[in-house]
Amino acid sequence: MTRTTIFLASVLALHGAIAEKPAALQIEATGAPELTLRGKDAKQQVIVTGKLSDGALRDFTHGVKYSVAPDGIVTVDAGGIVSAVADGAAVITAEADGVKATFPVKIEGAGTHQPINFANQIVPVFTKAGCNSGGCHGKAGGQNGFRLSLLGFEPDEDYEHIVKEARGRRVFPAAPENSLLLTKGINFTPHGGGKRMDAKSDDYALLVRWISQGMPYGNAADPKVERIEVLPKARTMVLGGSQQLVVLARYTDGSVQDVTRSALYEANEKSMAEADESGRVKLFDQPGDVAIMVRYQGKVGTFRATVPLGAQIASMPPARNYIDEQVFAKLKAMGMPPSEPCDDATFIRRVSLDIAGRLPTLDETNRFLADKDAAKRERLIDALLESPEYADYFANKWSALLRNKRVEAKDAPATFAFHGWLRDSLRENKPYNEIVREVIAASGSVEENPASGWYRQVKEPQQQLEDSAQLFLGVRMQCAQCHHHPFEKWSQNDYYSFSAFFSQVGRKPTASKVSDTIFHRRGTASAVNKKTKQPVKPAALITGPMEIPPDDDPRIALAEWMSNRANPFFARTLVNRYWKHFFNRGIVEPEDDMRETNPPSNPELLNALAERFIESGYDLKALIRDMTRSQTYQLSAVPNNYNKADRQNYSRYYAKRLPAEVLFDSLNEVTRTPGNFGGLPAGTLAISLPDNSFNAGSYFLTVFGRPDSSSACECERTQEASLAQALHLLNAKDIQEKLASANGSAAKLAADPRPEEEKIREIYLTAYSRVPDESELALAKAHIAKARNGTDGKPMDPVSAKRQGYEDIVWAILNTKEFLFNH
Amino acid sequence: MLTIKGQKTGRFCDGVTRRDFLKIGGLAMGGLNMSQILRAESASGIRKSPKSVIMIYMAGAPPHQDIFDLKMDAPLEIRGPFKPIGTNVAGIQISEHMPYCAKIMDKLVPIRSMVGSLSGDHDSHICYTGRSARGVPIPPGGWPSIGSVMTKLCAANGRDIPKFVGLAPNAGHPPYGSPGHPGFLGASCAAFRPKGSGMGDLTLNGVTSDRFSDRRALLAGFDKLRRDADHSGLMSALDVFDQQAFDVLTSSKLVDALDISKEDPKTRERYGKGDPKNYGDGAPRNNEHFLVARRLVEAGARCVTMNFGRWDFHSNNHSELLTHLPLFDQGLSALVEDLHQRGMDKDVAVVAWGEFGRTPTINKDAGRDHWPNVGCSVVAGGGFKTGQVIGATDRLGGEATERPVHFGEVFATLYHWLGIDLNNTTLPDLSGRPQYLVDGWQPMKELI
Repeated sequence: MTRTTIFLASVLALHGAIAEKPAALQIEATGAPELTLRGKDAKQQVIVTGKLSDGALRDFTHGVKYSVAPDGIVTVDAGGIVSAVADGAAVITAEADGVKATFPVKIEGAGTHQPINFANQIVPVFTKAGCNSGGCHGKAGGQNGFRLSLLGFEPDEDYEHIVKEARGRRVFPAAPENSLLLTKGINFTPHGGGKRMDAKSDDYALLVRWISQGMPYGNAADPKVERIEVLPKARTMVLGGSQQLVVLARYTDGSVQDVTRSALYEANEKSMAEADESGRVKLFDQPGDVAIMVRYQGKVGTFRATVPLGAQIASMPPARNYIDEQVFAKLKAMGMPPSEPCDDATFIRRVSLDIAGRLPTLDETNRFLADKDAAKRERLIDALLESPEYADYFANKWSALLRNKRVEAKDAPATFAFHGWLRDSLRENKPYNEIVREVIAASGSVEENPASGWYRQVKEPQQQLEDSAQLFLGVRMQCAQCHHHPFEKWSQNDYYSFSAFFSQVGRKPTASKVSDTIFHRRGTASAVNKKTKQPVKPAALITGPMEIPPDDDPRIALAEWMSNRANPFFARTLVNRYWKHFFNRGIVEPEDDMRETNPPSNPELLNALAERFIESGYDLKALIRDMTRSQTYQLSAVPNNYNKADRQNYSRYYAKRLPAEVLFDSLNEVTRTPGNFGGLPAGTLAISLPDNSFNAGSYFLTVFGRPDSSSACECERTQEASLAQALHLLNAKDIQEKLASANGSAAKLAADPRPEEEKIREIYLTAYSRVPDESELALAKAHIAKARNGTDGKPMDPVSAKRQGYEDIVWAILNTKEFLFNH
Repeated sequence: MLTIKGQKTGRFCDGVTRRDFLKIGGLAMGGLNMSQILRAESASGIRKSPKSVIMIYMAGAPPHQDIFDLKMDAPLEIRGPFKPIGTNVAGIQISEHMPYCAKIMDKLVPIRSMVGSLSGDHDSHICYTGRSARGVPIPPGGWPSIGSVMTKLCAANGRDIPKFVGLAPNAGHPPYGSPGHPGFLGASCAAFRPKGSGMGDLTLNGVTSDRFSDRRALLAGFDKLRRDADHSGLMSALDVFDQQAFDVLTSSKLVDALDISKEDPKTRERYGKGDPKNYGDGAPRNNEHFLVARRLVEAGARCVTMNFGRWDFHSNNHSELLTHLPLFDQGLSALVEDLHQRGMDKDVAVVAWGEFGRTPTINKDAGRDHWPNVGCSVVAGGGFKTGQVIGATDRLGGEATERPVHFGEVFATLYHWLGIDLNNTTLPDLSGRPQYLVDGWQPMKELI
């Protein structure tokens, strides 16, 4: 057994659930010191928290013995669910290992049912059972003639459909159990969606009672859910541990209901945790942070678990800047020792690929490795940021996200101009907020003002809103076009108010037909909310409506709002996007889906980056400099005995696959055969391509997933592996030709009179930026020295044989993971 | 990432639950990609399902009233010169130029009431995705075709054969040459196209097999980077695909499947010859593709698509049809018969169709124009209830009068038949929105 497995095994054994003994116990229900339950069938989940001798908190809800005195008032099941029996007061006692806690409970009106409110009690049953999901009755046209509003956002409509539609045959108050609604739900009457609930469940009983009461809708004055609250909010937990949650609905009249068993749960990291239908969270064996999103009636809440590894950290590498301070503080809290700092060879390859999208040249590598200057890494970063490839590489990234797509041949002047403008802006290090302002507030044709290129493909106000929200604010608004966002606070009103910023964008054709001219149409900006049919004024997210005089371009107001220091989205989205570029995982992941229910893995780090970025005047190069100078970035990718399972704390560098363009260029570099793209100068790098149109002519770029500039999402770039890719790299004719080219590296090395050892070192330095070790040298030399027969079966001449040997070596290196990954 | 909702009903293809996948030690990190699914399957010994789909796109939209739905009660300028013939199912008549299909009508289901094309644009899109290409919202990245969805959701049938093979060569009108797009599922779910570079990569290029195995040994010696340097599992996924590629290159199962010279000459004759050249800016009338499709599903491919001809007969409809219909009749009937003879008819579903129908009235150029109101299709295999007609049109063949069938319903039927839970399976588009495989359509009770 390795040290790691021993270590993990002991951690897992520790949790061995209730092997831990509490020093003290506490019972909680709603946060109040006592619990009052009203009405027949009233229930309440309680949680029992144990404090261990070291002060750590653990969930004991499922590991205590419950008792109640006096008898006959309430019952408590083994999972901590309290059920009302009769009016009166009682005390609940929970006991584990001789440690006890008590909790007073009062029951009122146990003999009578509380009146039922359709929206508050019945609709959540459909949501929990999945009846109103988008795949079933919740879709726009319903299912088999029965329609419910998606996730129950429109209770009025649902009531109409259940009670009045289909001549009322769905509910049958005279014999509630015979209602179609119920017989279908339990699959007694054949149901396309199968069995959605059990005839013995509380939900079923509730529906029966509602129907027998004559399907009350409730009163207009009845309270509505104001928010939901999750208890506990956050916990530090052990690997493999579990935690019972309590979910409380807080109503407009101040009342509270336990909705734990009616809420829906979803972990943001499904590999780390899951929650069952009763609100019990179970962790797996991966340390880190995980959030459980809780949804009820369109409201969301979150439970956050921090799962430390708890290893001793003997020493930390020194922090170099604020990034390290935040990352290392987290690692200390997690008890997760970081990997070793990486060596120079790894660093030059890593940082060149990440900043400039290319391998370091042989010459650069040799000089860097020989350099004795302590500040050489900083100098290298600066040099790379000033290199033209930096601007090329990042223009390539932004060009795809800003949809610089060539649809027809005639678009070329526009795509070239927009790409050129992006590259120049990055090269001269134009502040990011200015770049964005120039894009979203652009006027003119692409020929006059290349920054207007974004409007060429992003034509409608709704697309403009969706793209700019996702790209610049990290907010996905798309859902709110048709219904309240299920995981978010955004409503249809937010959606259409935001789109109003783009309502005055005018377009007219130009003589050259390369692009439209974009202009500001005078008039008051407004859009129509498709749901309410009411006009809405431009409103920024969170901060609300803006007063924009009729003659002002609302897009300028939007750009100003974005780059306001207090804007909570703009800077955070950019630093998170760039963090993902360099560290291969966003602090919020995915990088453009920032929401309360998808929290950052290290909020302090995200805030620090954003603050520094704003202070620097939105300086992109300074941001990259900070990231790449950090010790965190310069950690080895190789895990130590503790951090193998780390996926979000940056305790090591997370290796990433070379993107299509970079792989293509690198392959050409190692084989010494430049690429060739139609209409562009020979040797043009793939990272410098001005638009997507070259994908169609390049099987390589297509099969390795270079994006087609169709989406504002980085996810359009496919990073998944496929069989076609493997076949191509191992066996493509194009690649064989590069290997066998008379001008290629194999032919040149074979003819080179230097000792084999020196030449093999050169291949290694070019491909991996490192020298080979003894065994690698021996393997390569032996392969070159091997006797070879030609196709005629006779021994080959030594020159051809050696050349073949070198071809094989270069082929093998191109197919190693060390080459295909940045690590 | 793939999302399956609902603990009890969420299923991948072949009846594997999401929970089964999660159980397979930590494979769900950051969502399952295809390679992880591959590994998960092999790790858990999941029974491979033999079910496959062959989809034939009749590029350019064939005239429904001259093939499966002859309108003998309509005036001559509508019914045209073709006559119906009886079939081996009493009461079902089809075009006289479909004699082979007439003999196996008990193994076919003509659907005479296909609807769903909103725009009447020429596009394979609706035939490969079940959704109109225009006139409806398209998610970021576009809709994935059935082969790409199956690549994402269905198990592989053997390591040395791709799940999704598209036989269509590129065409002058690009949608006529599409094997079905991967849409928002991305390049890793695209069709494997045995043509150009894709085909070239299948056989060793410029190296002997000895030298190739030499190279492989050398690669194994050099490829020492610790796999745990990658936190995502992608590095091991690449290893899986490398293995698979080596299998393809050394076992030649895929190359063999594509090589019909390995087939009995009598069988080849039965399928007909056709013409491998594209018909104008359309697809080829390549009857060999029917045979290759059968060989591919036999070798383990899950979805094979092929495009046939160019049926956009705005002029000389009936004489042009004689250049297409007899070949199509021969190829399709041979495929269906062959599947039955080999006992594959329960495990392979075949669908052939075009994007819409054609105008009832013959125009001044003796052609028929676009008619999105109604069209036809033919379904076979799959263990479906064959030997029946579904749907009907009015006297003039202009509107569906009985049981209009949307393209999406056929897709719902196929996905359901493959074991995918339509109500609970979603795939996220590029905006992260979960998308269902079909827009609320249900499996066709008439077929299953």
